[in-house]
Amino acid sequence: MDPHLPWFVLLNPLLTAALIHLALRRAPAAATGLSVLSAVLGLITAIGIWFSGTPSAPIEISWIQLASLRIPIGLLVDPLSKVMLLVVTGVGALVHIYSTVYMAKDESKGRFFGNLSLFMFSMLGIVLANNFAMMFIFWELVGVSSYLLIGHWFTRDSAAAAANKAFLTNRIGDFGFMLGILLLWSASGTVVFPELAAKIGSLNLSAGFLTAAVLLVFCGAVGKSAQLPLHVWLPDAMEGPTPVSALIHAATMVAAGVYMLARISFLITLSPAAQSVIAWIGILTAVFAALLATQQDDIKRILAYSTLSQLGYMVSAIGLAAPGAAMFHLFTHAFFKALLFLGAGAIIHALHHEQNIWKMGGLAKSMRLTFLTFALGYLALIGCPGLSGFFSKDLILLAAWQQSKPVFALGLFTALLTAFYMTRLFVVVFLGQPRSAAAEHGHDGPVAMTAPLTLLALLSVVAGWPFIGHTLMGHDLAEGLHKIHAGGGAETVMSLATAAFFVGGAIALALYSKAKRDPLRIAPLQNKFYIDEIYAAFISATQDLLASVSNWIDRWILDGMLVRGLSGATWGTGFLLRFLQFGNLQAYAFLFGLGVVVLIYLMALR
Amino acid sequence: MPAPLAPLTLEIVVLLLGIVLLGFESFSKGGDRGWMARWSVAILSVVFAWSFFTTGDTGVDPSHAFYCADPLALFFKRIALLTTIIVMVISLEFRPVLEKFIPGIQPGSGTGEFFALPVFTCAGLMFMASAVDFLLIFVALELVTISFYVLVAYMRRQNASLEAGVKYLILGALSTGFLVYGITWIFGLTGETNLARITQVLPSLLAEGGRLHGSESALLFALMLLLIALGFKVAAAPLQFWVPDVYQGAPTPVTAFLSVGSKAAGFIVLARVLQTVVFLPSIAPKVLSVLGLLAVLTLLYGNLAALPQDNLKRMLAYSSIGHAGYLLVAFASIDPAAGNLYRTQTAIGFYLFGYLLMTLLSFLVMTVVSRHSRGDDIVHFNGLSKRSPFLAFGMLIAMLSLAGIPFTAGFYGKLLVFSTAIARQNFLLVSVGIITVAAGFYFYLKVVSAMYWKEPTEDQPVTASGLTKFTVAALCTAIFYFGIFPQSLLSMLPSDKAAPVAVSPAPHK
Amino acid sequence: MSVTLNHYLLASGLLFAIGFSGVLLRRNILTIFMCLELMLNAANLSLVAFSRFNLGPDGLPNYNAQILVFFIITVAAAEVAVGLAIIVALYRARQTTHVEDINSLKF
Repeated sequence: MDPHLPWFVLLNPLLTAALIHLALRRAPAAATGLSVLSAVLGLITAIGIWFSGTPSAPIEISWIQLASLRIPIGLLVDPLSKVMLLVVTGVGALVHIYSTVYMAKDESKGRFFGNLSLFMFSMLGIVLANNFAMMFIFWELVGVSSYLLIGHWFTRDSAAAAANKAFLTNRIGDFGFMLGILLLWSASGTVVFPELAAKIGSLNLSAGFLTAAVLLVFCGAVGKSAQLPLHVWLPDAMEGPTPVSALIHAATMVAAGVYMLARISFLITLSPAAQSVIAWIGILTAVFAALLATQQDDIKRILAYSTLSQLGYMVSAIGLAAPGAAMFHLFTHAFFKALLFLGAGAIIHALHHEQNIWKMGGLAKSMRLTFLTFALGYLALIGCPGLSGFFSKDLILLAAWQQSKPVFALGLFTALLTAFYMTRLFVVVFLGQPRSAAAEHGHDGPVAMTAPLTLLALLSVVAGWPFIGHTLMGHDLAEGLHKIHAGGGAETVMSLATAAFFVGGAIALALYSKAKRDPLRIAPLQNKFYIDEIYAAFISATQDLLASVSNWIDRWILDGMLVRGLSGATWGTGFLLRFLQFGNLQAYAFLFGLGVVVLIYLMALR
Repeated sequence: MPAPLAPLTLEIVVLLLGIVLLGFESFSKGGDRGWMARWSVAILSVVFAWSFFTTGDTGVDPSHAFYCADPLALFFKRIALLTTIIVMVISLEFRPVLEKFIPGIQPGSGTGEFFALPVFTCAGLMFMASAVDFLLIFVALELVTISFYVLVAYMRRQNASLEAGVKYLILGALSTGFLVYGITWIFGLTGETNLARITQVLPSLLAEGGRLHGSESALLFALMLLLIALGFKVAAAPLQFWVPDVYQGAPTPVTAFLSVGSKAAGFIVLARVLQTVVFLPSIAPKVLSVLGLLAVLTLLYGNLAALPQDNLKRMLAYSSIGHAGYLLVAFASIDPAAGNLYRTQTAIGFYLFGYLLMTLLSFLVMTVVSRHSRGDDIVHFNGLSKRSPFLAFGMLIAMLSLAGIPFTAGFYGKLLVFSTAIARQNFLLVSVGIITVAAGFYFYLKVVSAMYWKEPTEDQPVTASGLTKFTVAALCTAIFYFGIFPQSLLSMLPSDKAAPVAVSPAPHK
Repeated sequence: MSVTLNHYLLASGLLFAIGFSGVLLRRNILTIFMCLELMLNAANLSLVAFSRFNLGPDGLPNYNAQILVFFIITVAAAEVAVGLAIIVALYRARQTTHVEDINSLKF
């Protein structure tokens, strides 16, 4: 393979971003065109890379060369990064095209596209990095560019606050990530992935050390992939423009944590303790987020919680030593979740920025194409047999079945909840009658909007089919998938998952399709509703309790104390410190003298 | 074959330039003095280029020399020259403000010394870089300090500038007192003022039967006095109290000069003084632990107290204290067994060079902006990206580099500093360093968010002269160039290839 | 009783301490400035004493130290010239040389 190809993929968006920011901010049309062009070129190159073989020599140039530390600027092209390249550039290109319509009337379109290209650069950097240090750098850069994108409408206070929250929460995770990298480096003397993989086995590291290192690195993934307890930023991040949500908060950035874990799976398998922690955090996130999703009214927030929940699946799969299954789900999820977000964006766009699902309804008729594509994405997400999500979720559940029945049970419950809340969303938004003036005027977007939807819908259907998905995943990962499949229990798991799909969907259908067709219904007159009422009361009571408890923990403990407490304490110290600066000259001389006395005591008299 | 005194010619030219400028100022009528700054920029640039063609050999036996010209000295001379050149560019942008605050019969009169004095300061800094005898150290240091007294208080119609001048005068003279008293004691104990001679005689004096055997604390006391005086110059906590007030009150170009030039020279003198004692087993541990304490205090004070600041100049003052802390980390991580200071010298050399680029860049942009917005609070930077995208971009780069974002010179400097600490397994310093870097992100990015995310309070665009624009562009380029290709700068500094320090794998099992 | 090195050192130490306490306690900037000069002279005294009492192997003192004293005196004179000018400028602007009146820059 020509080593220039990966360099081109990486540097092309950087060049675009620089050009836009430095020269084209006042020329939005040119900025848009350039950015879209560069995204499409990136996709074409990524496809080219996928078809070419693995490079024979490492692609790197030297950057830091100290006695004890070597950090190259190097690119790693292997099956794992090839798949991820396809996902990032593919979804990226579609989102770019879609944004041309969605952001058409935005005043600072140039800035938006510049930042979008900057994001693509940083994300591709994570994908291609061949060492921890470089990955960390791009990891931070992704944080910065997503900060810029979430805060695009910075004049809204909530957008600025959300951007800050995302940034701060991620810093907590990244601190652990960095410590983990330092630990691994201090033990092995290298940060380059292939060298680390070759060395780590022969180092005879103690189990405790390995567990600590892996869990610290995992902290980075917890922050970026919004896992419990650092998930708080993702729902708020929905303040950003919807295409950004589709790209960053569904398909790429939040998946970076999972990708990173898959990249270091050789390390994770060395520590069973860390594995089980990862599996449990993942699956708990999945359940927790799914529960919260059932209670949301904002279409984007429902999708955000759903993303959290699906990421939980992937992380859990990593912990179950099934990185192949995690990547497979990441791959399919990227398409159908991007589709759902873009579909939601099309609705929001058509309804003049209305995001409350109870003010929608009946959109199936007025937004035919959006409805059809959204339906496919929805079915794929809830695991309708035959669609992509079904296959990938099934593999994760199967891996759980083989290794830990409690994890499997929670996973199955999540699948049921997923079917429930997504059906609720779907029914309320598309079926029934329009419930607001805006909803009556729904209309499909222009072709630049519907074409990406159609393409993603197609991918959502087929990406999971074994002969397509497994081919794209490359030989090594597909091997892992076959192994899981052959591990036993395939039929049981498949039927249970299908059952969860039907049960969850049916409950929601029963509850919401009828209730909303006639919002003014008088319950006692219609006996047949009593069962529904009890059902609903039971479900909603349990749900409310669980959801509000989770919400409370979320709001006060995690968000309040962890995030705000830390930054508040630092700021407070700084605030007190400056009162040492009285402004009085002799006070300074006195403090100077005090310093002299203390230092002399420490040095000469102690 | 160049003449043996070739390196000294650099200082001689700079001094002559200063004298000529002062002469012109005295014997010419009022009017625009901008030409003085422009000529200084041109001539100092020539001297800067010339410095690459001088040899390091002074032809004098080091144990009798006052003056040495090793690669480190040449490197710091270049830092001094570059700083002065950029400070001159800042001064040009600052002229309108300056003229408002000094009494003059006609516009422009009385500003001449403001352009001539930095040249003398520059000569002083260059002598400091080469000084290897306490006599020259003292005289050079005072040349720098006294010209700074004048410069800080230069705007005689402005209370803040005068107040800063008085504060700097009193506290500066106080630290001079400690410096001289420290020199006295070192001389009294060793009988020498030459650093190389002191290094030679100390081991035998401290050995069994030597005159100083058993009275190490006297030597430590003397060292402490020196450390206090130098700690004052480099703004190390707890001797940093003058910094925020003086930086805020002084004219902006002078603040920039103080925060870079004065600091760089202080650190090289510190390195030379420490070199005489850190390899003595009976002295080193205490000196290093005190340096470590200073580093921790300085890091915490500088970075935490910067958090609540609303005035950019004052925030940069605190940030400069913070950066002194990172530099002190490199000193506290000297390996007494190494036999040389190469690692520390390389780290501080690189760090200071990067610090020069980013600090002067931020001061340059600040001067232009505050002239247009009539103030240097952070709110005056609101919406700068709309008023002048170019300057906003320059400030962005400066802030990112100060915060230590990878691929900038600031990052690589921090990396070198931390690598010295990690090599010595000094994890306390590393963790304090990392925490303060995180705090630093907050206040540097506050400026960025003001520039890019807030609505401007005024609409008229901010304009800058061509020279300023060129300087901003050059500094931005240099920040990235040395962040991505650090080797080009490292090759000018003492190499640590001679003493490879491997990180020993942590004990496991 | 003959005067030994220790007597000189004691006197110089006392001078230094007096100077320093003056800096800390006096309220007039001019007085503070004079106290600072006192500290420099304390150093000069012990420098000369050290030079006089620690003779080299050839029976001669190290003259570098005595030269240094001249430099210190010269530099101190320069410092005073500049310092007084600044204090005068301050007095013209604020009509005060009281140390507690100059505290507008703080926090």
